[in-house]
Parts: sequence; C-alpha cells; structure tokens
Amino acid sequence: MTGGAAAPPLRVVGVSKSYEVGDSLARVIRDLTLQLDSGEIVSIVGPSGCGKSTLLNVVSGLLPPTSGEVFWHGRKLAGVPANAGYMLQKDLLLPWRTALGNVVLGLEITGADRTDAQDRAGAMLDRLGLHGFADAYPGTLSGGMRQRVALARTLVTDPEVLLLDEPFASLDFQSKLLIENDTAALVRGERRSVLLITHDVEEAVSMSDRVLVLSQRPTYVIRTYVIDLPGSRTDMMEARKSHGFQDYVRSIWNDLQAPKR
Amino acid sequence: MTDAALTLLPEAERRARRRTRLSRASAILVCQIALLAVFLGLWEWATASDRAVAFLFGSPSAIWGFLVQMWRDGSLFRDTYVTGVETILGFVVGNVLGTVLGLSLWYSQFVARIVQPFIVALGSIPIIALAPIMIIWFGTGLISKVAMATLSVVVVALVTAYKGAMSVDPDNVNLFRTLGASKLQIFRRLVIPSALSDIFAGLRMTVGFALIGAIIGEFMSSSEGLGHAIFKAGSLYNIPKVFAALVATIALALFLTWLVGKLERLLTPWKNVG
Repeated sequence: MTGGAAAPPLRVVGVSKSYEVGDSLARVIRDLTLQLDSGEIVSIVGPSGCGKSTLLNVVSGLLPPTSGEVFWHGRKLAGVPANAGYMLQKDLLLPWRTALGNVVLGLEITGADRTDAQDRAGAMLDRLGLHGFADAYPGTLSGGMRQRVALARTLVTDPEVLLLDEPFASLDFQSKLLIENDTAALVRGERRSVLLITHDVEEAVSMSDRVLVLSQRPTYVIRTYVIDLPGSRTDMMEARKSHGFQDYVRSIWNDLQAPKR
Repeated sequence: MTDAALTLLPEAERRARRRTRLSRASAILVCQIALLAVFLGLWEWATASDRAVAFLFGSPSAIWGFLVQMWRDGSLFRDTYVTGVETILGFVVGNVLGTVLGLSLWYSQFVARIVQPFIVALGSIPIIALAPIMIIWFGTGLISKVAMATLSVVVVALVTAYKGAMSVDPDNVNLFRTLGASKLQIFRRLVIPSALSDIFAGLRMTVGFALIGAIIGEFMSSSEGLGHAIFKAGSLYNIPKVFAALVATIALALFLTWLVGKLERLLTPWKNVG
C-alpha cells in the first residue's frame, strides 16, 4: 500500500479482535471491512454490546487488532494516528481546567504556541455558541455545554477524521439536535470525515452519508445503506421530516431486530 | 435569554437572606458554646465537692490555672512550638516521600505489584514499636521525633497517592493518547491533578498521625514538647496539668488541620465553584 492523494482517510481491512478471558477466547470483531472517504460522514449502528466501541479503539490505534489491518491515508496504522479527533459519550473534561483550558489541551500537548493556541481555542468556543464561558469550570456548565466544550476540544486540533463514540447519547433531545446541527455544519463545511458510532438510528440516518449495520458479536458489517436525503444535510429536524427518512429508519431497525445467526 | 437567566434579587431581599444564613450559623455556634459550657460546668461541679474526685479527674478551673501558669513561664508556647515543629517537619517529609513514591508507582504496574506486599507489611507495623530504634539511631533530640512523625505518615501518604493515581479514568488516558500525549505528559497533566483530591484527603488524615508520632517520640525520651509535658505531669499524678497540656495539643491539632484546609482551597480553586 502506498500513500497518495486518492487514498481514503481510513480503511479497515478484514479486522478481527478477540480477548482472552481466562482460558477462553471472546471474539468481538470478525473479519470487518469498511472505508471512510474524504468529507464523508459514516455511521455505525449495531445491537448493544456488539463491539462498536472496541472497533473504534482499534481504528484509533488504542487497541491492536488480532488480525487484519487499518490504513490511514493508505498507510498502515502504527501507534495513534496524528490527524484524528476522538470523542466519547463521556465529555472527559478535566475539572481543574476552565473551558478554554480544556479546549487548548490538544494544542498544548503538541507544543503549539501558547497565545496562538488560546486564540484558536477561544474562537472555537465562540463558534460553538459558548462565547463568554471560556473561563468557566466544567463543574458550572450544563451537560449540553460540556459536550460542546468537548466538541471544541476535538475540533480545535483541526483533525481530518473525527471518531465519535455515541457523543450525544447522554443529552436531551433538544440539546442533541442542536449540537448535531452544529457538528454537521462544522464538519461538512470543512470537508472533514466522520466515523460516528451510535445506537440512535434516527441520529445515524439524519447525520450520515452512509450507515453501516453491524451484527451481534463477533461483529461484522451486515448491511450498508447509502443515505440519499434531499435538503442541506445540516438541519437534523428537516432531515427527519424529509421524504424517505422513515423508510431508512424502519429498514435499519428491522436489520437490528433480525435474529442472531 | 442567558442575560435574564441570572437576575440579582432586590437589595432588601438579599439582605434578608444573608441575615437568615448568618443567624443560622450563629445559632449553631451558640449551641456549641452552650454544650461546652454545660459539660465544663458539670465537670467543675462534680469535682468541687470531692477532693478525691478532683485529684483523679482534675477540674476545669485547675486546668485553666495551669494553662495560665504555663503561659506565664513560657513553657506553653515553647512546648507547643517544639511539638509543632516536629509534627510539621515529619508531616512534610512523610507526605512528600509517600506522595512521590505513590504517584510514581503509577508509572509501572510491574513494580507496583512487586512492592505491594512490602508496603502492606510496613503499613501494619505499630509505629510505637519503632520508637526505641529511632532513639538509638537518631538520638533523643529533634530528629528522632521527626522520624517518628514521618514514619506515622509515609505509608498512608503513599497508599492514598497511589490510589489517587490509579483511579484516573482509563478513557481519559485514551483521550490523552489520541491527542498524542507522552507518558510524562499524561502523568503531569492528568494523573497528578486527578490524584490531588485523594492526596488532600490523605493530608487531612495524616496531620493527626504526624502529631501522634511526634508525641510518642516525646513520651519515649525528651526534654521538651507537649508529649514531654504530658508524660512528666502524668508521672507526678498532676492530672490538671496533663489536661492543660492536652488542651494545647488539641489546639495545635486544630490549627494544623485548618492550615491544610486552607492549602487545599488555595491549590484546588475549581472545587470552590458550583
């Protein structure tokens, strides 16, 4: 495999992952293949406990696969990819740092210039509607605001690919829709790619260009949906009302209900 | 919208609320003083009528008399100062040593597992049993008391700091790794600050331990300090003077605990909000 402009940001080829549990082997992922193209939002849905988060950790280099390979921009993954942003359901904000201090973390670690980093972090907070909250400690912010700070922390390092693991699952419906809209606008406006892991089928369909449905453990892709919805694709309420949305949701829901093989 | 979310109450209303809060706080204080007064009053009354009881239990007025006398001849200040210095030195040395070792065990699970049984073994030694050895090694002066205070503190500090370091959320470690952080960066920016609340819990606990260590050291062999005063007065059956020195010990303990609380509020400002 050689790198090149045409290589997709992320390719997962025949990846399997097993854990040793005592004397037995727990197989979590079985021969899973997927591809994420530049500027594309791909969602992964699957029955709960199917190994979605394990998959994300393998893709982001935190866990080595048992077999198979992960390619970032056509190059085999070694260690942690430099141009990926990672965000979980837990906001993982550091309580001893202000909102700004949390956003600036990634830039600080890579040794960016301090004032420049703070300017960028402040600007990112402003773009996510947190103007005036830069100096607030996470303990004083609401769940939705905290997750916005986490999103700002993820985006400020300017990642080409976002790896999101149920990032909005703990939010109420209204906060969730608003932050989904902002995420879609920020990501699509700058041609970033997103791998979104979720158990929320409506979120998957409204946000994504493609939805991959995973099986029970050991998991693999059982079906791929190309989501073709009219409209701007940055308004999640509009997407929910658009023609065809409910058909996708119902069909994916049926796949998830399918009996275990 | 957010501008109106937090509005200031009218001045009169605010003053009224502040007054309610204040009056509740002062009511608690009044009750505490009353409780103490009743206790001391009963004690005084019980010992006033019977000389034998007064000999065995002392009386608040006799204790007060000794406190005044010890204040006048300067021994109250000197003994408290000596014990305070021993306690603080042992507290600082023990906590620095224990915290550094405990935190650095986070670096290697392998080393941590190796040393674990030894730490448990050291922690189970009753400190008083070490006092004779400390005196043989370090003499009867300041150093042996500091060593006793240090020993009383160090294992607890080590265990709490290690526990704090290990309780870091593994997802947070993963986040740092995806941001490209080195192990040292994770240690400095995540592990140490995360462990702070455990470390401070340890500090609050070990203030008392350090004081106990210093006083045990003084009991064994010394020429000054509150432990020395208590021991000497006790062997002369001077019960009120024992209590007087005990009052000074309690005051010292309260002062040191207050100091640690002050330090904690200063170093963990994010905890004071919300």
